[in-house]
Amino acid sequence: MQRNGFKYANIILMLLLSLFIFTLIFEIVTHADPLSLIANIISPEIQFAIHLSLLTSVISTFMCILITIPVSYSLARYDFHGKAIINTLLDLPMALPPIVAGLGLLLIFGTTSFGSYLADAGLKFVFTVPGIIMAQFAVNVSLMLRIMRSTFEGINPRYEHVAQTLGCTPFQAFFRTTLPLSKNGMLAGSVITWSRGMGEFGAVLMLAGATRMKTETLPIALYLNISSGELDLAIAAASILILISGITLYLFERKGGVAKLC
Amino acid sequence: MIEVSDLLIEIGEFELKRINLFVKEGEYFCILGPTGSGKTILLESIAGIYRPDMGSILINRHNVTDLLPKDRNISVVYQDFMLFPNMNIRDNIGFGLKYKGYEKSVIEDKVEKTAEFLGISHLLDRYPSTLSGGEKQRTAIARAIITEPDLLLLDEPLYALDPGTKARLRQELLRIHQLKKTTTIHVTHSFEGAFALADRIAIMHGGKIHQVGTPDEVFRKPNSAFVASFVGVENLFHGTSVIKDDQSEILINGLIIISNALKSGNVSVSIRPEDILISKDPIHSSAQNSFSGVLTEITRMRATVNLVIDAVIPFRVVLTKRAYDDMGLYVGSWVYLTFKASATHII
Repeated sequence: MQRNGFKYANIILMLLLSLFIFTLIFEIVTHADPLSLIANIISPEIQFAIHLSLLTSVISTFMCILITIPVSYSLARYDFHGKAIINTLLDLPMALPPIVAGLGLLLIFGTTSFGSYLADAGLKFVFTVPGIIMAQFAVNVSLMLRIMRSTFEGINPRYEHVAQTLGCTPFQAFFRTTLPLSKNGMLAGSVITWSRGMGEFGAVLMLAGATRMKTETLPIALYLNISSGELDLAIAAASILILISGITLYLFERKGGVAKLC
Repeated sequence: MIEVSDLLIEIGEFELKRINLFVKEGEYFCILGPTGSGKTILLESIAGIYRPDMGSILINRHNVTDLLPKDRNISVVYQDFMLFPNMNIRDNIGFGLKYKGYEKSVIEDKVEKTAEFLGISHLLDRYPSTLSGGEKQRTAIARAIITEPDLLLLDEPLYALDPGTKARLRQELLRIHQLKKTTTIHVTHSFEGAFALADRIAIMHGGKIHQVGTPDEVFRKPNSAFVASFVGVENLFHGTSVIKDDQSEILINGLIIISNALKSGNVSVSIRPEDILISKDPIHSSAQNSFSGVLTEITRMRATVNLVIDAVIPFRVVLTKRAYDDMGLYVGSWVYLTFKASATHII
């Protein structure tokens, strides 16, 4: 009897939590009637936000992939002094509130001579679209790194050894064996990085600001329209973000067998 | 011809301490040692995977110490096969030729021939994950020998296989070596395996080479307690076998041992020490092998006593303490050895 009581208490809590999450999402997507929801989604402002979010998140995801392949390979394959410190440092952005990372970026690009040098060279990050990409990259690169690191760690280095003895340079050996074998982990990592890029708010707000029809990504559109009382437009933006989360979770579960989050 | 001089290398917790090794042209050389002895690191250093901190490696008189693996003309076969899972068997076997710049038609031709040589022609269009262990290792061997390397490096190639497959592939390795005469370094922890294959063996332990010699030399005259305990557990002999009346008669130094295993020609024979019955008087039984000899060595272990009896060839025998005490044996006792034809294993 006591055993059953324990079991039922656990199950009831599980059901309550599920109901809570369901209601939360249900409330957003059913608040407006379907027709006006669609009308709001195809409104110029939300269309702009969708396009900008897609563009910036795809670019920042590619940047994450390009940089994390060599970096996570180093962490997975090489032994060196200070590796533990570097590991911790590179993991830090994952635990850091995005708005704090955004503040750091704003200080780098807005107040240092390095920032003004870049701006003079035409690379402006403060209150610009490149700023959105930079903010998404800074916040998400750690997660991608972690997934790629555990993916590479799971691939036997001897594949490359064999390829090298058979005539490959170290780079060719990596390119022909480890890289194709890391496909699933890379896909899973890219999907989650992209989805988080779509939804990134805090760091984007700090570095790129929230300018209507200029740096207005989906989360920024949600924020701007809630602030100005345009609830329907905010809900349209939120609905798109929910849809993206659903797709992401589905793809991640399918591809993520080899590289769960950690 | 391989010359390793004063090789010093440290990787994490493992290190090689000034290894000197000389392997003759066309030789089948086994490096034998327990887990953690550094034998795989030595193999991978010769392959060029690790750069030594000191020392040099010469392959056919060329100093390859600073060359990349691809420029050493060597091949490696690992115990866990390491077939590229993203390529079919044909592409796996042809991989090396592709990077050595052969034309497509030449590659195809060579792949077919090598696959046929190893009896895996029917597998060429399959992927590694669908193959058995033995088939995978045949593929890995094919991939290694197709490039006609100056040196074939084998890292426990038989370890992950079941006993039947292991025996067949051991024969296969012998056949390949007899045909191709490729200088081969084979790393293993099984003395039995090395005994059947090697021209010479090196015993390795703690990052050092303890002894180098023919299997017989190392087995008969171990130069340290470690080597003795490492190799001295089995009765291993070389001889010539003739098949008579559905049994093998193996002539070893004038002694004839009967085995139920059927194989003729030059063979290696092992008899587990615990399969040998020892007595002070001759025993009349169905066991077909019966010899007599002098007890030359007694070693007391925790629960057992190990004996060496010289009956033309030295037999190692294990007794329980109780049995040993009951028999009242001493060095110099004349004793009788008896074991069944089924206890005689031909390697």
